[in-house]
Amino acid sequence: MSAVAAEWIKLRTLRSTWWALGVGVLMSLVLTVLGASTVIARWDPGRTSDQAAMGIVVAVYVGVVLAQLPFGMLGTMSVSGEHASGMIDTTFVATPSRVRVLMAKAAVLSGAAVGGSLLISVPGYLFGRFFAAEFRPSLLPAGAWTVIAGGTLMIVVTTLLGLALGAILRNGAVAATALVAIVLVLPFLVINLPGGEQISRFLPAYPALQLIEQLPDIMPTWAAFTVLAAWGVIPLLIATVAGARSHHGS
Amino acid sequence: MIEVNGLTRRFGRTLAVDDLSFTVSPGRITGFLGPNGAGKTTTMRLLLGLDRPTAGRATVNGVPYRELRRPLTQVGALLDATAVQGGRRADRHLWWLARSNGISRTRIGGLLELVGLGHVGGGRVGGFSLGMKQRLGLAAALLGDPEVLVLDEPTNGLDPEGIRWMRGLLKSLAAEGRAVLVSSHLMSEMAVTADHLIVVAQGRLRADAPISELVRPGMSLEDAFMDVISRSAR
Repeated sequence: MSAVAAEWIKLRTLRSTWWALGVGVLMSLVLTVLGASTVIARWDPGRTSDQAAMGIVVAVYVGVVLAQLPFGMLGTMSVSGEHASGMIDTTFVATPSRVRVLMAKAAVLSGAAVGGSLLISVPGYLFGRFFAAEFRPSLLPAGAWTVIAGGTLMIVVTTLLGLALGAILRNGAVAATALVAIVLVLPFLVINLPGGEQISRFLPAYPALQLIEQLPDIMPTWAAFTVLAAWGVIPLLIATVAGARSHHGS
Repeated sequence: MIEVNGLTRRFGRTLAVDDLSFTVSPGRITGFLGPNGAGKTTTMRLLLGLDRPTAGRATVNGVPYRELRRPLTQVGALLDATAVQGGRRADRHLWWLARSNGISRTRIGGLLELVGLGHVGGGRVGGFSLGMKQRLGLAAALLGDPEVLVLDEPTNGLDPEGIRWMRGLLKSLAAEGRAVLVSSHLMSEMAVTADHLIVVAQGRLRADAPISELVRPGMSLEDAFMDVISRSAR
């Protein structure tokens, strides 16, 4: 627990953290408000209160996943910044277990990602309810929880993927490029290939967008959750093995 | 107490550390002397578990560093004082470090005073001079009140007054019964600081003796050092 507490102090005592979080949250909030008001303005007046609530949640989580890159960059910086400055040595002198350090960073960043996503979704949801008041939206219909869980998981996974890439590649610019490639460029390229839909199932973007109801269902919900979660877990495992093997010890 | 036994580290074809064995005892300052590239920093990194030896082992109080619990309470280390993130305040740098080893945050204020940074503890490290970073690094090393100190060229970047202050502090730490290992490539500095000397060159041990034994009357440490280095090179 000491390592987690230390990483939490490290994360919040750097200005760059607040810049990444601030930019991510504010940008997404603005886009959420704009997107939700545009969508709601076009609703058919016959929409039921459950449909209205679902529509608000979907619109809000489109905004939330827009924040994934700043959060992923935060994950990358939390380790590449230590490699660049050399402070990683002090970290390992204080906590010699490389696995413990990586897991502590993962725990803290996951918390920050969930917290950040709530900073977007809660105000976004309240705004949506206010803007769609005439439809008398219900609170949270059953289907909304899949969207909420899927959108939140996507933010957490991108953040952890950023962390893992930072730990494996160590160079911040290289890791950030790899992150953008995996999260944005690769899924876009693949979907335009013949048979690309089959490959898309195994990249993080499609399962996430399916869960937040932005793409048609091509796999069961449990499969989408599993693939998405794997993109958070497996790169971290690779980073753990790479860290333990490294003769440089970091 | 530090024990180094047959410690060897090979980087490709070069032997950075070659079968090194020595002991750093409590209650005195052990100078770790050698020319640039002699393997001093590599030895210290091996000692602190930042690198793995090709052969041999290094222990602190009988335990390999990586197996120590709350290591900062047993070993204080200062390697590269500039290896800190500039965007963080000095007191908060010490805060995360203290927290990682369950050390009370209340020690930080006093330590910043001790190293002469009491008035700038709330300043960002990026604005610090090299000398101030050395002082911060020393505060970090003393955070856990450790019995063993491992300091790599701690006087780097300090002004003459700062060097004098550092020397006095190290002497009082040794007098309190701590084992202090200080590396340097400056013989003149070691002559007035260390009680015991370990001399290395090209990764190998050249001398391990009390300073009084290495420096005979009428001979400077510089002469003694060059003598030891050249004798072993033959």
